[in-house]
Amino acid sequence: MERDLRIAAYVDGELDPAERAAFETEMKSDPSLAGEVEMQRRLRARLAAAYDPVLDEPTPARLAAAAAPVARRYGAPTWAAMAACVVAGILVGRLALPRGGEAPFAPPAPRGELARVLDHGLTGDAGPIRVGLSFRDRDGDYCRVFTSASDRVAGLACRTGDRWATRTLTAWAPDAGAAYRTAGSQLPPEVLVAVDGLIAGEPLDAAGEQTARAQGWRK
Amino acid sequence: MEPIRRRIVELLPRLRRLARALARDPADADDLVQTTVERALARAGQWAPGTRLDSWTFRIMKNAWIDEARARSRRGKVFAAEETGEMVGFDGGGAMQARLEAAEVERAMAALPQDQRLAVALVLVEGLSYKEAADVLEIPQGTLTSRLVRGRTALIAQLEKVH
Repeated sequence: MERDLRIAAYVDGELDPAERAAFETEMKSDPSLAGEVEMQRRLRARLAAAYDPVLDEPTPARLAAAAAPVARRYGAPTWAAMAACVVAGILVGRLALPRGGEAPFAPPAPRGELARVLDHGLTGDAGPIRVGLSFRDRDGDYCRVFTSASDRVAGLACRTGDRWATRTLTAWAPDAGAAYRTAGSQLPPEVLVAVDGLIAGEPLDAAGEQTARAQGWRK
Repeated sequence: MEPIRRRIVELLPRLRRLARALARDPADADDLVQTTVERALARAGQWAPGTRLDSWTFRIMKNAWIDEARARSRRGKVFAAEETGEMVGFDGGGAMQARLEAAEVERAMAALPQDQRLAVALVLVEGLSYKEAADVLEIPQGTLTSRLVRGRTALIAQLEKVH
């Protein structure tokens, strides 16, 4: 057991430099010790190969929702209503964003079809680009969550002056086989977190959204 | 959003990895993560800022998992059958081989007694130091290291068997 403890401590990096040097000297004169070290390293590598890929899996929406309360407080009802509105009215257009590789801190400003949907779309409108939630931030500026099924991104844009600025933009995939259906619980955690970080008060209801649109989203 | 929520969101991938090492079945593992997150947020006031949030959250997971294992044995629930259909959907080659390897590791982990599995998961999967892992498990470091040695001996015996 004492020998096993030392081997483990060596492999796990728990020996101090002096103990480590002594162990390595011993290893040179004792091939069986070196063999056991090798076996322990192999075990660590196999455990890493089995479990580390979990780190790269997308976080299931229910877990992001459990951690970021925005999904429970605002997302589900709003987006559920939106899903219920999926009847017709497919907007034609493309999101004017470059594909892939956006710098994480400087997403491009919405242009083209996305800017148009942010200006005129209401939560619940169907289409490849959809607005999911509108709210005011602590400065009183209007912000809107959007998804683009065609470009497979979701994000958050806020109105500054007379234009929209993208605050968050992240990869997003609509449910397979339900390209125009969506729900708040499907939003990436980055977006939910961003909303919770910015929102002041409650999200806009339908009337509030129409009023804000009529005023050109000026605060 | 409070900083603690943001940090727990950032911890989710690691919480999922630890849960997978403990619970094996991916759906059970995510249930365990969800319980952990809910409990952590409900008790956020008990976390001392400046101390490690990951260790604190892992301890909550450890307790949740032990509670769950106890409840499961009371109900007499048996483990799900060997991974039926688990291999379906991989496009062959390296992915399939990696998946088979992982399944073998998961089987060996699942066969470990609970206390050894916890020690192995925290040190060898999560990469905690002995001291950190002993703190998470609320046991002396000597107890941790002996569980760890027994656990890895059992894993090696299982995994290095000649096929």
